[in-house]
Amino acid sequence: MEFAPIFWWTTLWLLVWGIVGSIGTRRIYLAKDLDTSNAVLMGSLVGASLGPIGLLFLWLKTPEASKRLIILPSLLTVGIIMTAFALADPQNNCVSNSSFVLSQITNGLIIGIIYGLMALGLTLIFSILGVVSFSHGEFYMIGGMITYYVTVVWFPGVSPVVGILIACLATFILGAVFERLFLTPMYDGRIERPVEYGILVTFGLAFTLMYFVQAVAGSNPVKAKRFFDFPRIRFPSKEDPWLIKTSRGNMELFDTISISNPRFIAAVISILVLLGLLYFLYKTWTGKALRAVSQDREAAAIAGINPHRMNMLAFAMGGMIAALSGATLVQAFSWLPHVGLIPAMRSFVIVVLGGLGSLPGAFFGGIIIGLVEAAGTGCVPDPQKASSYIPAYGMIVLTLTLLLRPTGLMGRRFASGTHGKL
Amino acid sequence: MKTRFLKWCLMAVSLSVIPLASAYAADCVHKVGGLAPLSAPGSVVGGEAMRDAMLLAERDINAAGGVLGCDLEVVITDTEGLPEKATAMMEKLITQDGVVAVGGGYHSSVGVASKDVANARGIPVVFAETWNDTITGDKQKYIFRIAPLSSWASGVIWQFAAQAPGVKKVAIVTENTDYGIPAAKECEVGLGSKGISSVTFGVDIGTQDFAGIVERVKAENPDYIIVLLTGEAGFNFTQQAADAGTGPQDIMFHANQAGLESKAWWENVPDGRLAFMARIGVPETMYSASALKFANDYKAKTGKTGVESFALEAYDSIGILAQAINEAGSTNGNAIVNALENISYDGVLGRIYFPYGSKKDPSADGKGNEWWHQWPDVAITMVQYQKEGEPSNTMTIVYPESYKTGEPEYVD
Repeated sequence: MEFAPIFWWTTLWLLVWGIVGSIGTRRIYLAKDLDTSNAVLMGSLVGASLGPIGLLFLWLKTPEASKRLIILPSLLTVGIIMTAFALADPQNNCVSNSSFVLSQITNGLIIGIIYGLMALGLTLIFSILGVVSFSHGEFYMIGGMITYYVTVVWFPGVSPVVGILIACLATFILGAVFERLFLTPMYDGRIERPVEYGILVTFGLAFTLMYFVQAVAGSNPVKAKRFFDFPRIRFPSKEDPWLIKTSRGNMELFDTISISNPRFIAAVISILVLLGLLYFLYKTWTGKALRAVSQDREAAAIAGINPHRMNMLAFAMGGMIAALSGATLVQAFSWLPHVGLIPAMRSFVIVVLGGLGSLPGAFFGGIIIGLVEAAGTGCVPDPQKASSYIPAYGMIVLTLTLLLRPTGLMGRRFASGTHGKL
Repeated sequence: MKTRFLKWCLMAVSLSVIPLASAYAADCVHKVGGLAPLSAPGSVVGGEAMRDAMLLAERDINAAGGVLGCDLEVVITDTEGLPEKATAMMEKLITQDGVVAVGGGYHSSVGVASKDVANARGIPVVFAETWNDTITGDKQKYIFRIAPLSSWASGVIWQFAAQAPGVKKVAIVTENTDYGIPAAKECEVGLGSKGISSVTFGVDIGTQDFAGIVERVKAENPDYIIVLLTGEAGFNFTQQAADAGTGPQDIMFHANQAGLESKAWWENVPDGRLAFMARIGVPETMYSASALKFANDYKAKTGKTGVESFALEAYDSIGILAQAINEAGSTNGNAIVNALENISYDGVLGRIYFPYGSKKDPSADGKGNEWWHQWPDVAITMVQYQKEGEPSNTMTIVYPESYKTGEPEYVD
């Protein structure tokens, strides 16, 4: 970094006024007997972005913590950080190379969408059952493994869509059977500590699945072939394809953004699944019943919804969504029985960041983590360290968010917590 | 009559005792440990190859009479490529399994971490594929190595890169381990001495998604990429780089030697043609009779078309220990060390011996401490996949001149 003091002094400024804003705003709102639920977040963001002048205004007027008063200072804070970084390190690729920046943003968005899909399954399970499924990564692994075996080993040449569908079906059944056999004791008071039981029993499933696959398939890395090759496109003209240029494994947009085929296909499938899932949750009776149970189990039961059936459906669907993420990525990454460990950890970060039990929170959390990781990997000046800290970037964002808003970005204060019981 | 009856009784007893005695002899077993990464994040490709080779060594040694009149049992243990697991496994091998010596070992971090445990407990170890210089550089009494030194192997990698046409800048992608960090440093320094600039990207072992790093590597606009990532991380990086237009068919590219397991390579890196790799050991055409026999047995056992260098090293690490135990006439650690320091073992890698140790310090010949208990004659070649899907045993040897079987195919 050429002019490092600019960046570090700015960061110090943001931190100091952010802390002053969070502490001061809470005290003033409490003194005036106002709602403090979002005041800490708002105060810290106004302090960080506008400094003492903004805080003075905030403390005098004490406005309600509206979305506008949170989003605008957030954007301003991010803008200040970016400006300070640009001034401190003008030679950095993130400052001087627009093609690089666009590619990193695209990569971050694409992987973020895939992360978001996987985390959606985890948050669906939590919102209905109140259980954090520690076997989520293994469902992801199984999804990829089944797709690989169907498309490469058992029926070479079969359409990958068949492989993905079989993976979805198998994991849905596995999730449903597991829920019926092992999670039902949580619902009827047979278990004194349902939260701990849920964690332990899903941990058990995780290890069982991992070592079962290791015993059956071995530990050598495997990989499915690219699902579809890009057709050769040169647009608008063959001589000057500035808009879009494709080869079998890569797509280049505007002569700048490079997207690899497996990631593009995985992202497209994820978006389609997300749209389908949204339709299912918001437009079908079963989906509405699931959401109703996540909001209030007793009211849902009174309305004629069987919460136990919804428990089974949620666990099966959650596992299936994780498996689907794996099925789309087995063509992008080498696959092993232990491949689910890191994505599972990332999913936990995302659902906590987005707010436990919040479906939109999981999706946006995924995109935020994808973008933050891309920014960290691309912009940290020391290349030796930039990529070493990939897991840490998400954790920094999570820690800051929880410090200012313990329920996560879109979480409810009492999201689930009934652990499947009525 | 009575005498005849007694004679018959004596004969019957004698005849019944002979098989009992031989059964008793076959029942005695001497155990030797075998370290291999059999689970992620370790290089499972390497670990499984080493396990198969060490079990073949066990079979061959027992067929030739075993050690000290007893069978040899190789206790394979999974290190996962992790230092903390390696120390725990070394403790287990010594204290619970009762091994008298240890062979194998793939990841340098495993060697660095576990050597202290073995040395403290007086158990000799012959490391097979751990390159980090400090493993022998600490001059520990019980630690030996038949793999090349990192500084030496990295030298071959950077020297080959330096002599490639038009190389002015090299991107090095390395894992943050006891293998990757020093190897990358040695490449940086070596390339720098030839006036070639380099930039190093470090990643954690087990990293899957390299999209951001690939973009950074591309932005550096290098002429040559050196990948020092073991296991599936190396496969992931290479294929993701190829997807992004920076793979072995787009730029001169050195991949990790895990790619010598050609089935895994072509499945995981379908666009991996033209990648260069370092291979330990002489080419198959120069194999000795014992190496050819091992190669045939290994291919029959595993169904592979070639023999990876780490399989050869693993086989010899067990073979040399068996010979040392026999020559020592005891399973005592000190006696085995003494035998190893004087050994001349004709293995599948060649004649293995250790010129430096307690009888002659490396400094006597002006060499660094890392040459302590180090086999000095390891052959290192650079090989290249020149045809899509080709097995590793037909790869073209492109460097050095003494082993060359063809010209390197450089990407423009």
